Amino acid sequence: MVERRLTCLAVIILLWGAAILKNLISLQVVHHREYAIRARSIQEVEVEIPAPRGTIFDRDGRPLAMSLASRSVFINPMKVDIGVASDLLGYLLHMDRGELFLKIKQAADAHRGYLTIKRKLTPEEYDNLLNLKSRVEWVSLSHESQRHYPNGTLAAHVLGSVDFEEKGNAGIEKSLDTELRGTPGRTRLLTDVHRRGIAPQTSIPAKPGTSLTLTIDERLQFVAEREIAAAVLSYNAASGSVVVMKPDTGDILAMASYPTFDPNIPVERGEDAKPRMNHAFSVPFEPGSVYKVVTYSAGFETTDLRPETPINCNGGKLTFGIRTIHDSHAGMWVVPAATAFAKSSNIGAIQVGLKVGQVNMHDYMLRFGFGQKTGLPLPGESPGKVYRLERWGKTSLASVSMGQEVSVTTLQLAQAGCVIASGGMLVKPRLVLKRGDRTEPVPAPVRVLKPENAITMRQMMEGVVLVGTGSRARLAGYSSGGKTGSAQIYDYASKHYTHTYNGSYMGFAPMANPQVVVVVTLNGTHGESGFGGHAAAPVFKIVAGEALRVFDVPKDLPENVPARTLVAGNPEDLNDLAIADLGGAGHNILQDTEDAATGEAETAPPEPPVYGPHPVETAPGVPLGPPAAAGPPPAVAAPPRPQGPRVPNFRGMTMRAVLAEAAAKGLFILPDGSGIARVQSPPPGAPLHQGERIRVQFAQ
Amino acid sequence: MATLPAFFKKNEEGAGAPRGRDAATRTNRMRAVRDPFQLRALPHEHLFLYNKRIDNSRLVREADPKSRGACWSAIGAASVLAVLLTSASAPSVATTIAGYKLEALRIEERRLLEEHRGLDLQEAELLSPARLDRLAQQNNLVAPSSGQVFHLEGKPQGAVAMAK
Repeated sequence: MVERRLTCLAVIILLWGAAILKNLISLQVVHHREYAIRARSIQEVEVEIPAPRGTIFDRDGRPLAMSLASRSVFINPMKVDIGVASDLLGYLLHMDRGELFLKIKQAADAHRGYLTIKRKLTPEEYDNLLNLKSRVEWVSLSHESQRHYPNGTLAAHVLGSVDFEEKGNAGIEKSLDTELRGTPGRTRLLTDVHRRGIAPQTSIPAKPGTSLTLTIDERLQFVAEREIAAAVLSYNAASGSVVVMKPDTGDILAMASYPTFDPNIPVERGEDAKPRMNHAFSVPFEPGSVYKVVTYSAGFETTDLRPETPINCNGGKLTFGIRTIHDSHAGMWVVPAATAFAKSSNIGAIQVGLKVGQVNMHDYMLRFGFGQKTGLPLPGESPGKVYRLERWGKTSLASVSMGQEVSVTTLQLAQAGCVIASGGMLVKPRLVLKRGDRTEPVPAPVRVLKPENAITMRQMMEGVVLVGTGSRARLAGYSSGGKTGSAQIYDYASKHYTHTYNGSYMGFAPMANPQVVVVVTLNGTHGESGFGGHAAAPVFKIVAGEALRVFDVPKDLPENVPARTLVAGNPEDLNDLAIADLGGAGHNILQDTEDAATGEAETAPPEPPVYGPHPVETAPGVPLGPPAAAGPPPAVAAPPRPQGPRVPNFRGMTMRAVLAEAAAKGLFILPDGSGIARVQSPPPGAPLHQGERIRVQFAQ
Repeated sequence: MATLPAFFKKNEEGAGAPRGRDAATRTNRMRAVRDPFQLRALPHEHLFLYNKRIDNSRLVREADPKSRGACWSAIGAASVLAVLLTSASAPSVATTIAGYKLEALRIEERRLLEEHRGLDLQEAELLSPARLDRLAQQNNLVAPSSGQVFHLEGKPQGAVAMAK
């Protein structure tokens, strides 16, 4: 009996063991892979490691754009009670419940399984939703990255903006999007029963976006934006732009455009695109007289033109084919090229242009970088417009000589200004200083002008500030050179030039070793107060002064200089309004207005001034100018020299010679630099006060 | 359990009661003519319990060195086994604990990095030129005009401050 029972028990145990063994084999051998996968899916979670978008810094490492993690809430509209969801979420997220109800209902009607309720949750909203999520299942939270521009509108046109997926849609955010975007990493995390991570199983490390360091200087950019905004509003202009460049490296220190926008605010449908347009970079315009820098440079390079070369301005009127061109300076006859340039005579520029010729002029336009993109890593660059030689008409050379029939951008003008300021080398503008830790190389400059011609152009441009149309750009404590420009805006509808202007100013400082080039453009100004010398030059003065202060450039002039040096005491001296017309014909590409009067005259003589002798009264032999008339160099009125000891002229002398002469005369010298004396303060001929020190700057 | 009536009844029977069949007959008769005042018997009334002292102090366990050795061997083996098991599982346990710590530290690292970026952003917003300019205007701070700035020309030896 007992044995039978034992046998039964043994059989049962055996069967039990066999069943266990069978299941073990099934689990561990037959279905091993399937169960292993199921186990992993329960025990492991895949976690995405966020890769923040690269930060954009200014040249001093101050952040201009950076990304921070943010949270969003989304629901499945098909699986919620719309009324309850809209009530709860509307209350917690401070949203309108009615709108939310409609939004969820529309998504549910469209059979959408995913609806983002709100992005960029505040910490308080996030905590509220976490509490809600622990009670209901239909709320989901996701982590995203959000782009911030801590300075608001500062450098908005350079930086651009991103869309809701943090993809660049303008500016450098768009053009360098692939570099700025990081690659998120992934890790499989073994978790315990409470879903706490234990250890990563496999991991793909996150690759953060590359940080960019721009050449922009935050302080300069701010000043440039502030001043251009003030100028646009003051002169009732349509838009304006400023570009500040370093002439030796091509670094863009500031690129401001007005109107502007805040990249923190996403683009709305139907929004006006004008504020988002980079006027300095994307909007070409006819430059007007500021372009005469190219004309005269080409003249110095290809002809025997010198600053003292007499040019017959023909009394401010020139008949060219069927067209008649007028200068506002009706009294300008034969004047030196420097005076014609300083006074921005259109006739003078045309005379020079005619001497240069079409081929050379076209060649130098291209050499200065016009008609071509600068290659900055920004989207939407305009190359401007330079007609091919085959398309040039009979009057094109004259038009181009005074800055018509050519369109340029403010950035291209700054690039051209750098040619003069850097001694004749064309440097490519550079916007990105570093990519990550790697410094971007400075592109090799290309020689455009001979050094001596570049120096001559600098002196010519200094004359514009000292005695010409750019007196309002004069800096306190620094020498500077520049050129004003005012061009009428062509109305394509009426096919006429209007009485609105593009007022511009291109300048650099200091003269001996220019550290900054600043170009200011105001588009759509009205009246004489909207001319470049009146509206744009003061902006140059403030921006360039700030740039020189920021870069700690030593002053080369005493701060307290006379407010203005006038050639003659007549306000019309500074008014070289030039009109070129077709005698009532429609399209007048030669019509040009040049810079208006910029300052008050101390005395007002009854008669308008006359620069240079009338050609009829002088002997012939002027090298430039159709009327056979030329005379001695112009009679330029000079202020009376005060009596007493004067500062000697050290310019061009070696340091040894300067010190020897100073010792012989008992003068106290403050030398600066090495090489040849270039700049001295006080200037030569200035009254020398007892005990006064003379600062002499030497350069190679 | 014995009750007092049952106890006394038993004693009576022991003193002069009939035995054997007579007793049974008598009992049946008595049950037939049951005294209405007699209490019913309790369960296990026939059992009697009493306390008896047993002194085992004189008993001594016989010494068995063989079994003692076996016992110690078993204890030793169990200890060795426990140590081995602990040693074998210790790395795994340590790895798990370290994994917890590592993951916590990683979360902390990410949080701190994010906090650092947030503070950087906050600093940049506070030092924004537009904000500083606005504050300067509120406090009537103006940029010095030309002529108001004096550049000092080096500090003489021994001087604690520069002056001009």
